[in-house]
Amino acid sequence: MTTKTAPHHQDSVEGSFHTEYMRINVGPQHPSTHGVLRLVVDLDGEQIVSLKPQVGYLHTGFEKTFEHRTYQQGVTYSNRMDYLHGFGHDLAYVLAVEKLMDSRVPIRAQRIRVILNELNRIASHLIFFGTGLLDMGALTPFFYTQREREKILDIFELVSGARMNYGYFRVGGLYQDSPDGFEERVQAWYDDFWPHLEQYRNLWVGNDIVLARTKGVCVVPPEMAIDHALTGPSLRASGVGLDFRKAQPYSSYEDYQFDVPVYQEGDLWARMMIRFDEMVEAARIVKQALDLLEPGPVKDPDRRISLPPRQELENSMEAVIFHFKLVTEGFHPPKGEVYVPTESARGELGYYIISDGGSMPYRVKVHAPSLANLQSLEPSSIGGLFADMVINIASFDPVLGDVDK
Amino acid sequence: MTLPATGSPFASGGVLAAALERLTALGGTTSEFKGMTSVTLPKSQLIEGLEAAKAAGMVMLTDVVGIDYLTYPGHRGKRFAVVYNIHDVTGRERLFVRVELDDGEASPTATGVWRGADFLERETFDMMGVVFEGHPNLRKLLTPEDLEGHPHRKDFPIGESPTLFNDGRFLDPATFRAGLMGQDTGLTGWKGGARDGVRSTQGTLPDERGES
Repeated sequence: MTTKTAPHHQDSVEGSFHTEYMRINVGPQHPSTHGVLRLVVDLDGEQIVSLKPQVGYLHTGFEKTFEHRTYQQGVTYSNRMDYLHGFGHDLAYVLAVEKLMDSRVPIRAQRIRVILNELNRIASHLIFFGTGLLDMGALTPFFYTQREREKILDIFELVSGARMNYGYFRVGGLYQDSPDGFEERVQAWYDDFWPHLEQYRNLWVGNDIVLARTKGVCVVPPEMAIDHALTGPSLRASGVGLDFRKAQPYSSYEDYQFDVPVYQEGDLWARMMIRFDEMVEAARIVKQALDLLEPGPVKDPDRRISLPPRQELENSMEAVIFHFKLVTEGFHPPKGEVYVPTESARGELGYYIISDGGSMPYRVKVHAPSLANLQSLEPSSIGGLFADMVINIASFDPVLGDVDK
Repeated sequence: MTLPATGSPFASGGVLAAALERLTALGGTTSEFKGMTSVTLPKSQLIEGLEAAKAAGMVMLTDVVGIDYLTYPGHRGKRFAVVYNIHDVTGRERLFVRVELDDGEASPTATGVWRGADFLERETFDMMGVVFEGHPNLRKLLTPEDLEGHPHRKDFPIGESPTLFNDGRFLDPATFRAGLMGQDTGLTGWKGGARDGVRSTQGTLPDERGES
C-alpha cells in the first residue's frame, strides 16, 4: 500500500478513499422490530443500501397442526397466529369452514362477531400507535393506548374468559351467547372512547415532531404497493381503496354505514393516519352493530355442525348420539377447496382450506397479511435513513406470529 | 395502471370473464366450486397466463399456495399443485390459477410478474419443496437451516425425525419419547413424574416428615 500526499481538492479526496458498506444486523431480539424480526441492513453512511428481512424465528407449524385437529378444534389455533387481532383470524377461519359446510350463521352471532372483530381492530391499532410512537421516542402515548386497550380486553375477557387467544367463535356461530352486561359494557366503552380519541388527536396527530419524522418519508407509490403484494391499511395509505369489508361483505358488514379511509401520499404519515381514521370507522361499526343487536340464537341450528342444546340430551337418545359424534369425531365437510378473504387489522387475511371429506382439514394455507406486507419494507426504506427505517417497520404493523405462522 | 381514487372502488365487472377468455385460449381448463373459479394451466403456459390475467385486470397477487395431494383420496394426476391466488383491484373478482407438478418437477417463477411473489414462493419452496426456476433468491423462509425436508409434505415424519442441532445435541426419537413417558430420564433428566405430583422429584413433603 502506497501512502499518498493529502490531496487539496474535495473531489480527489472522495476519489482516493475506499469506502465499504457497513452491514448491520438488527434484531431478532429488539423491541423496535416488534417481535422476533431480524433484518440484515447494508448502510452507506447512514443511508440504507439494502435490507433483507429474515423471518421464521416464531414458526410454529400451525398449518400442519390444523391437519391433525377437527374443524371445530381449529379455532384454538387460528387466533394464536396474530395475537393482536385474534378475532380476525378466528373469523377468517370459521368463515372458510362455514362456506365449505354451507352453514347459515344466525344474525345475532354475526353481529357479535362484528362487534368483537372491530373492537379487536381498535385494540390492535392502539398497539400500533403505542409502539410506533415509542419508536419515534415518545414514551407517553404507549401508556395512554394501553389504558384504552385494557378496557377493550376487559370486554373480551367478559365474553370469552381470555384476554388473548379467545377461541370464542365456533363454526356455525359462537361458543355461547354473550354474557349479561355485555351490551352495556360495550356501550359504556363507546361513550368513553370518543373523548379519548379526541385527546389522542390533539396529542400526536398534529404534533410537530411526528409530522417532521413522518411526512414524505419512506413513500410507497401505488404501483410499488401492488407489485409487492401489499394489503390492508398500508395499501390504502398508498391510494388503493381496497377493503374486503366493502368489496365482498361478510358476516353482516353490508348492514353498516362506514367509510373506507384512503390516503394518496403513501408515506409514513399516511400509514399512521389511516389507522387513526380506521379506529373512528371501527367504533362507528361497533355502535351500529350494537344498536341492531337483537336477542336470538347464536348457533347454526344445523345438527351436522352445532352441538344439541343441553336440555335435549336428557330426553333424546338421538341428541346424545349427535353430541357424541360431534365431540369425538367432528363433522365432515364435502370435498373441495375454499378461500374467503377478510379484512384484518393488517390486511387481507384468508384461509385456503382443502377438505378431503374427512373430519380434519386436508390442508390449511393461511394467507397472513404481515408476511406479504414485509416485502414492501425493503423498497420503501432504500435510500432513506436508518432511523426512519425503524419507524417504517412499525408503519407496516407486522405481527411476527402472523408472519411466521 | 388505473387506480380507484376514492374509498369506493370503481365498479369493475367483466375482469374475470376477460381473464378466463385469455387463459382458456392458452390451454387452461376451468373449474368452479362454491363461487370460486380456478383455471389449471399447463406449466409451459403459466407465466404467459399470469401475465395475460394481469393484463386483463387481475392486477393483485394475494398468495401462492402449495398443495401436496399424496394422500388425497381419489386423486388422479400429478402429486403437487401450486395455486396463484389473484384478484382485481376492486377485490370483487378473484381467480385461482393452478399448475400441477410432479415430485422434483420445477415450476417457473412468477417473481417477474409480481415482485411480491418472492416471499410467497420461498414459503412454498420451504414447506413443499417445489423449486421455482429463475427465482432470484430461493432460500428457506420459515424453517431453520438445519431442518431437512419440507414439513408440509404429506410424507414428512412428525415427531419421528432424529435431529442434530447446531450445537451438537442429538435428538433420538425413541429416547425422547421414553423420557416423556417416564421410563427413562431421557435427554432432559425429567422423570415424567406428573402423575405422582411433587413427591417423585422432591421426596416426601415437609409435613409428612413431621415438621410444621
